[in-house]
Amino acid sequence: MHELSICQSMLRVVDGAMKAHEGSKLLRIFADVGRGSTVEPQLLREAFDVLVTGGPYEGAELVINDIPLAGRCRSCGRAFEYREIALGCPACGSASVDIESGLELSVRELEIDD
Amino acid sequence: MAKVSVQERIQSENERVAAQNRAAFAKAGALVLNLVSSPGSGKTTLLEATLDRLPAAGLRSLVIEGDVSTERDLDRVKARGGDGVQINTGGGCHLSAQMVADVLGRLDLASADVVFIENVGNLICPSTYDLGEDAKVVLLAVTEGDDKPMKYPAVFHESSLAVLNKIDLLPHLAYDIAKAEREVAVLNPRCEILRLSALKGDGMDRWISWITARLAAKRGA
Ligand SMILES: [Zn+2]
Repeated sequence: MHELSICQSMLRVVDGAMKAHEGSKLLRIFADVGRGSTVEPQLLREAFDVLVTGGPYEGAELVINDIPLAGRCRSCGRAFEYREIALGCPACGSASVDIESGLELSVRELEIDD
Repeated sequence: MAKVSVQERIQSENERVAAQNRAAFAKAGALVLNLVSSPGSGKTTLLEATLDRLPAAGLRSLVIEGDVSTERDLDRVKARGGDGVQINTGGGCHLSAQMVADVLGRLDLASADVVFIENVGNLICPSTYDLGEDAKVVLLAVTEGDDKPMKYPAVFHESSLAVLNKIDLLPHLAYDIAKAEREVAVLNPRCEILRLSALKGDGMDRWISWITARLAAKRGA
């Protein structure tokens, strides 16, 4: 359960971005969370609710962009999602697969009221 | 209402501290391995067997022990003539770069060829935290499920070596080792795989050779 410390780190990133917009009210945080990133969106939301209560971001909404773990076969080029790739490419059987998305963990954008 | 583009990784602060740790390790010329596994897969036993063999390979080592509480694992290390420091996370499920940075001053890095960081027993949380290591080594016991790699993709994606431990038990198990290895290969083609029994010694020579080769590559670069 590391979502609490991940959320603290996320809020430090937000602090940094909000410095240039002092006096504005934070409305929304848009975060990219890949399914292979080890972060459970529900736990991150719960941590967020706890951490923003009583602080400057109280009332702000956390919008999580849930990104599937997806890859592409290097041999035949077929794209697929996590569940299909356990034993290699479902089309040609190759084990040579690139994970293309699903490991993201970042703050993409903020919405503020100024 | 206005939009502010941020595009920053949530772990950027941890990554900044990890880079400082990495620079300190590089200055000392020590190879740093971050050992990650679930509880009970045999990390400390592997460490004990490794400490027994390193002097013969001409290698000196230090251990950074990460544990939720207690110094039991560090005691086991010291019983084998090893030395190091303990980090108690006090309930935390992983080490962070800052926790490692905080104990660096207590280690005589210049006296070590290899630094082992034994992470808290957990396959999920440690994979998100770069500690400044040269390589993550993920340890899996064959007594765990053979679908573990796909269940915990991040740690395999981040690791340079997967050690499949307790292979002496294979005759008693329905474990499909080829399936586990194929899952690792699919998740991360650059991750090497080593079959090993820390308890019986099978594969230990190859593990020591892997460490020696990584150290030579680091110092040669
Ligand atoms: Zn294919």
